Amino acid sequence: MSQMITIQVNGESFTLPAGSSVSNLLASIGSEQESVATVVNDQIVRPDNRASFRLKKGDRVEILIFAGGG
Amino acid sequence: MNPLPEWLSAGHDETRFRAMLSPDSPYTLEQLAGESKAITLRRFGRTMSLYAPLYLSNHCSSGCAYCGFASDRKTPRRRLEQEEIRKELGAMKRLGISDVLLLTGERTKAANFDYLRTSVATAAADMQRVTVEAFPMSVSEYRELAEAGCTGITIYQETYDPLRYAELHRWGPKKDFRERLETPSRALEGGIKTVGLGVLLGLADPQEDALMLYRHLRYLGKTYWRAGLSVSFPRIRPQTGSYEPPFPVSDHLLARMIFAFRIALPDVELVLSTRESPAFRDGMAGIGVTRMSIASRTTVGGYHDAESSDRGQFDVFDDRTVEAFCNALRDKNIEPVFKNWEHAYNGPSHMEAEK
Amino acid sequence: MDSLHIGSYTFSSRLILGTGKFSSSSVMLEAVKASGTQLVTVALRRFNREQPGDDLFTPLTSIPGITLMPNTSGASTAAEAVQAARIARELSGSPFIKVEIHPNPQHLMPDPIETYEASKILAKEGFLVMPYIPADPVLAKRLEEAGCVSVMPLGSAIGSGQGLATAEMLKIIIRESTIPVIVDAGLRSPSEAALAMEMGCDAVLVNSAVAVAGNPPVMAEAFAEAVAAGRKAFAAGIMEKSGIAVATSPLTSFLGTEA
Repeated sequence: MSQMITIQVNGESFTLPAGSSVSNLLASIGSEQESVATVVNDQIVRPDNRASFRLKKGDRVEILIFAGGG
Repeated sequence: MNPLPEWLSAGHDETRFRAMLSPDSPYTLEQLAGESKAITLRRFGRTMSLYAPLYLSNHCSSGCAYCGFASDRKTPRRRLEQEEIRKELGAMKRLGISDVLLLTGERTKAANFDYLRTSVATAAADMQRVTVEAFPMSVSEYRELAEAGCTGITIYQETYDPLRYAELHRWGPKKDFRERLETPSRALEGGIKTVGLGVLLGLADPQEDALMLYRHLRYLGKTYWRAGLSVSFPRIRPQTGSYEPPFPVSDHLLARMIFAFRIALPDVELVLSTRESPAFRDGMAGIGVTRMSIASRTTVGGYHDAESSDRGQFDVFDDRTVEAFCNALRDKNIEPVFKNWEHAYNGPSHMEAEK
Repeated sequence: MDSLHIGSYTFSSRLILGTGKFSSSSVMLEAVKASGTQLVTVALRRFNREQPGDDLFTPLTSIPGITLMPNTSGASTAAEAVQAARIARELSGSPFIKVEIHPNPQHLMPDPIETYEASKILAKEGFLVMPYIPADPVLAKRLEEAGCVSVMPLGSAIGSGQGLATAEMLKIIIRESTIPVIVDAGLRSPSEAALAMEMGCDAVLVNSAVAVAGNPPVMAEAFAEAVAAGRKAFAAGIMEKSGIAVATSPLTSFLGTEA
């Protein structure tokens, strides 16, 4: 069994297999790939880089969408 | 090809200005005078700022058809040396004047930039406020002039009609319409704090010229929003001097123009010189005009040698003494203001480099 | 064609619509379509797997001719706004950013100092910066110098429906500005939007007044018509009010009668 790590996703704890990428994270929480922005530890991770961007223990991930606003 | 820049084309905000000046205007002169008076009082109070011109030199390299100092005139040419300038300033100060407008012709060897800058420094040592009406300069020259103590420049376009302009400015550097048009912008970029604009009334269609002048002021106000702006209304009066104006402007039209500028541009200083009659100047005080020249001599060296019979750049109509003119203002409950406190604030324009 | 030019973009509609406070996304989308707007604001929010329908990116960008203008709402400092803008640009692909920084959640008044700092940085980074600001003429000119493509002074407090409470200041801003002036916030009814346009505003941004109307799509259409009418009136030149007081003792008798 692969090792698990815990990260913060939108302020909440989230556990996933070590070596997971940002793309893996998006798939596992059921978010769209195209219409979200991803930020890891205050650094923007562009869609092209999500598959290769490996998450580490303790990373702070923000997944952001466009919602209603004036 | 249109020789005019885009900012001189029609805007959305000039409907009323046009209506105020139109020959079939919906506004009577009295209506405009009433509104102009109310705005003038609100914005400027019961005061009149006073200055006097000092002609440094009548050397000139241009051939302006309407000007007594044009380079083909037989007028004797001279320039004041610094010691003479100090004498003139002394004579002006004895008259109570502390706000001086220094004038030269177009750029010549005798009256070039170095001469002008030195003269500004000489005047700034003695006067509360020094402004300049001379030749177009570069941004860096204006910066040097500002550093020497010049706070304002006056530069009239004379007419905004490029064809008339070309006819009237027969030779010399002033022939270049666009160069002159862009001069106020260069002055403001160089750190000059106020610019005075105007058209020489009588040269071309006055309504058209007034509208273009209004657009020019609106453009400068938007682009150089920290700048002080003023407008003068020099008029070639019919039946005086040797140049017969092809578009004579009546007292009524001139008054209408002054009211229209006051109403459309409430914050702009409006200036009237001694070219105008005592009755017209007294009448316009308090209802639109906020700055006037006094005791003017339009010859080189005219203050120290008041008896000179030389012909000046134009004929002075209001030749009242400082005292007589100030009394006329006070009779109208208007306070003559000689001293400009701005001088105390003329520090560097930025506390630290921004860029 | 009397179009609105912002940066290198040209819009035929002068109504900008906010997408907040609607009862549902579908009502909001109906209102956007009915308004004919070409520029809509959106806000960044955390993805919530329980409410996947909150995501407006796909439905909004599938409406033809719509450009997104993300805002930085939620930011209370310049640094937060700059970060929000960079993230928003990744997502929207749009160069527009509405800089909106309000440190006080009670009244949501924009912070002029933080807004200026953020706008300066974002303009340098190539954003088309549209700052939401108090109706302050000097601030408006400073932001113009900082490279903003528009200024968006408030008519009155956000969501207050107090209309053009800042009218006198707005007039000065309009008079002095060389970039489009867009009244943002406070408009309650189409007549107020028309009035703003008649004053010479280049566009208006409306959100609450449409979102909380009884019938938002119809209200959106009403605003669109009012904005178009107001603009037309402004461009046509509005007649002056009469009633200028005439002095009892004539001011111009010194001129004599006209020759």
